[in-house]
Amino acid sequence: MIEFKNVNYIHVNGIQALKEINLSIKPKTINALVGSNGTGKTTLARHINGLLKPTSGNVLVFGKNTKKISVASLSKRIGMVFQNSNHQLFADTVKNEILFGLNNFETDSQIKKNRFEWALNFFDLKKYENTSPLKLSGGEKKRLCIASVLAWNPEVLILDEPTVGQDQVQKEKMLKFISNLNKQGKTIIIISHDLEFLWPLKPNTIVMAKGRIKKTGKMTDIFSDDELLNQTCLMRPQLLDLWMKLNIKEEPPGDITEATDAIRRINGS
Amino acid sequence: MVVKMYWISKGFIFTKVDSFVHKLDPRVKLLISIQFFTLALLVSDLIDLAIIFIGIILLASISKILSRLIRTMLFALLFSGIILGINIIAGYSFIYSLQIALRFVAIVCSTSIFFLITSPDELEYVLRWFRIPNDLVFAFVTAVRFVPIILLDALQIIDAQKSRGLELERGNPITRIKNFVPILVPLIVNEVIRSGELAEAMESRCYGVVKKPTVLYELQLNINDKLAIPFCTSIFILGLLFSI
Repeated sequence: MIEFKNVNYIHVNGIQALKEINLSIKPKTINALVGSNGTGKTTLARHINGLLKPTSGNVLVFGKNTKKISVASLSKRIGMVFQNSNHQLFADTVKNEILFGLNNFETDSQIKKNRFEWALNFFDLKKYENTSPLKLSGGEKKRLCIASVLAWNPEVLILDEPTVGQDQVQKEKMLKFISNLNKQGKTIIIISHDLEFLWPLKPNTIVMAKGRIKKTGKMTDIFSDDELLNQTCLMRPQLLDLWMKLNIKEEPPGDITEATDAIRRINGS
Repeated sequence: MVVKMYWISKGFIFTKVDSFVHKLDPRVKLLISIQFFTLALLVSDLIDLAIIFIGIILLASISKILSRLIRTMLFALLFSGIILGINIIAGYSFIYSLQIALRFVAIVCSTSIFFLITSPDELEYVLRWFRIPNDLVFAFVTAVRFVPIILLDALQIIDAQKSRGLELERGNPITRIKNFVPILVPLIVNEVIRSGELAEAMESRCYGVVKKPTVLYELQLNINDKLAIPFCTSIFILGLLFSI
């Protein structure tokens, strides 16, 4: 679905941000791009919707080379939500904000209406329909940004640091949204430093360091590798850490409820 | 387009370079810039303007910023084209219109070169040396410091809106101007929010408690500065005499 073939990218300021990237992202999966600051995670993600074109190598999206397609036509199938919500919001009302992308991509007015209603309801924004986006809280703004992208129903959703500035309640809501979207068949790519947030999603994890992909695989395998964690300055998620310290052989739990159940079961109580 | 914007913007932003000119006292740099500016205002024929351009290019070469200054020149040339057109439409001769247009480029370059070789810190010291009130100095220098940051914001916003299907280069000229609304609104809102946050951050670090804050370094002319002043001034006087 998305393939990086020997991709190198050099910024206009001469810094090489991506080095020999080979990567394949399968449809209907949740993927996490992790790594310390400045390792090229966002740069890699921007290659997927064609905002950046590789200096050498090729990025193939749905079998097409991104060098030969415009950002607009790629964006129709690949939605990207940026880290800073304020960089995206400009319309006078929540309604117009959601309609912006829809108006650019969708011509059928009935589909437009249906998608608009779906986005408002799915992201719990109905009561703010005629409110200025600037009056929303940080969490609501983030939801609006995602809603305004998902409104035109892209097949792939890229989320750049979706949990920045979000409280625990908003994070849990976000987790449910992502999980539901994946169940609906969307491919999700999340760029995040928040490993505790990613852990319950059990994503296919891509670890980056100094512009290179260090390792890809299941989150449990990646975060069991002490040497890799040391090299990439990543911290092991707490539940996995607990499982490893207790030396429990079972599959690590996704959340605290699963963990409690598993420990009770092991103890026979 | 984003790459083009980034490329041009480098013609307006200071970057630290190890050169003789960069090491000069900022007051000397300002003096040189004013001298070029004055000559660009006073000269009236194309040969004189050409000499000024050679002088600016020489200074930029010594300062190792020629490639950046060329970007400024190209940017100024876009506007000078408009000036040329308006003058011709207004009934002035082509040669006169060309002089006016090139004079504009020379003025922009002589100003730009000062900002390309002077860091915001040095700029602050120069303004303080002129006894300009502290609040004004702070406001001006902060504005200069924020130029690259605002530019990066603009680039991020362009990317965000392009990802939502915005095509800046689509449609007739009026549509193209309208296409910038989704860029300008978040940019302005962001900068207003940022300025409010900055003001609060400054106040919480005691900004404004004393009327005249002290500075860590004092400006002092070294031997290179003392040689550069008479050298540049004599060339300037020669230029003045020549142009008059």
